Amino acid sequence: MDWSSPLLLSLRVSLCATALTGVVGIGGAWVIARTSLPGRRALELSATLPIVLPPTVLGYYLLVALGRNSPIGEAWESLFGQPLVFTWQGAVVAASVASLPYCLRTARAAISDVDVRYEQAARTMGLPEWRIALQVTLPLARRGVLAGLALAFARALGDFGTTLMVAGNIPGRTQTMPIAIYDAVQAGNDHRALYLSAVLSIVALSVLAAVTLLERRPA
Amino acid sequence: MTRSVTPARAAVALALALLAVAVTASALGVRSAPSVTASSGDEILVAGASDLQFAFEELGEAFTEATGDDVTFTFGSSGQLATQIVNGAPFHLFASANVGFVDEVIASGEGVASTKQTYAFGRIVVWSPKKRYGSLEALLDPKIRFIAIANPEHAPYGVAAQQALEDAGIYERVKSKLVYGENIADTLRLVKSGNADVGIVALSLAIVSGGRFWEIPPSRYEPLEQALVVTSTGQRGVVAQRFASFVMSEAGRRVMRRYGFFLPGERRGT
Repeated sequence: MDWSSPLLLSLRVSLCATALTGVVGIGGAWVIARTSLPGRRALELSATLPIVLPPTVLGYYLLVALGRNSPIGEAWESLFGQPLVFTWQGAVVAASVASLPYCLRTARAAISDVDVRYEQAARTMGLPEWRIALQVTLPLARRGVLAGLALAFARALGDFGTTLMVAGNIPGRTQTMPIAIYDAVQAGNDHRALYLSAVLSIVALSVLAAVTLLERRPA
Repeated sequence: MTRSVTPARAAVALALALLAVAVTASALGVRSAPSVTASSGDEILVAGASDLQFAFEELGEAFTEATGDDVTFTFGSSGQLATQIVNGAPFHLFASANVGFVDEVIASGEGVASTKQTYAFGRIVVWSPKKRYGSLEALLDPKIRFIAIANPEHAPYGVAAQQALEDAGIYERVKSKLVYGENIADTLRLVKSGNADVGIVALSLAIVSGGRFWEIPPSRYEPLEQALVVTSTGQRGVVAQRFASFVMSEAGRRVMRRYGFFLPGERRGT
């Protein structure tokens, strides 16, 4: 029974999605919490949409936005020679968008909680803003930021509806663990469904345990 | 100052580690994919209607043995697979449960019109794990709470089931008891798991699933003309065509017959 290829694919997709979401989410969180950029509230709201929208609706929007007839889809296809939809890269985009709000909101709350006086003190010592953000704000907010990343990873690992719409169900290419489980259930292959579910549960629990340990350890 | 730098470095290190793991997993995944299928030939992706699941898996193995080319299947409802292909899904062959979806794919420019072929005619049965229902009217049994059929919106077998119920004049009376499977394999699952009492499913799935079934006379629904089309050009398209020919070959027809399909040129019962 082949369980390693959906698992490896799931890990690859969710790790890449977490990396992508981490950069956009933490960056966005800092912009929203620490700058006076106009429209930053609207930005936060729109980044929260994936929590509210049903995954299939989100997937459908992404399919329209990234599909072969969309400007993004066309640009991608002319750059890389293949469509973005129905590839594992498409699955990464789907999982990233679905997990973005979890990372962004958690990180935003953590950054907002950092006492601005530390940052002001750093400013009086002449540190440039980007170093204040990286060396003062982020370290002080690290617990929340890490928790946000962990949530994003968990959400990406478990994503089903959005990924299915954007990347389809192709064994060995876009069939992530949740989709492989769905496929096994649909095909009436109960043993495989149970087995894959158990593997995914163990992986998810281990990741959660690892993150909890990491968080508890003093820096 | 130096003390505040340490956690920042830790955060950066963590981010880098995460990225490294992602890249490693990515490389592993890329490498593991071909090694899983240890053959020297090409690999083609086939989108197949759910009723083909068992027949095509057997055909796929025989094909790989004979040619060295690998076949990977994605099974689903024909309508959903057609939509995916039109939207750019990278399948090389589309084997539909209904010729209409093949025409749709060809019209969108994703299918090679000259490769369109009818490979089988599907048959539907009333299936239940224990009790045998010997007619459509038997479905009026008040003890039946749910009757599973495939979703007629996008599954040809669901369309055929609905036509048969309408033809028997009982559609309106059983309508409130109908539950819809995503595709015909899912429909069978709904019954098999006990969540529906009885279902109208493909004979090709009923044959391997045990249980009791009764075939609905083919005169009660429009023929389920199952057609296929190559959806790729180039080398993979050639291999896809080779697999299509294999399905149509005498060896392929023997397998299809065993799973209860009527074959073009030898259709009975209409």
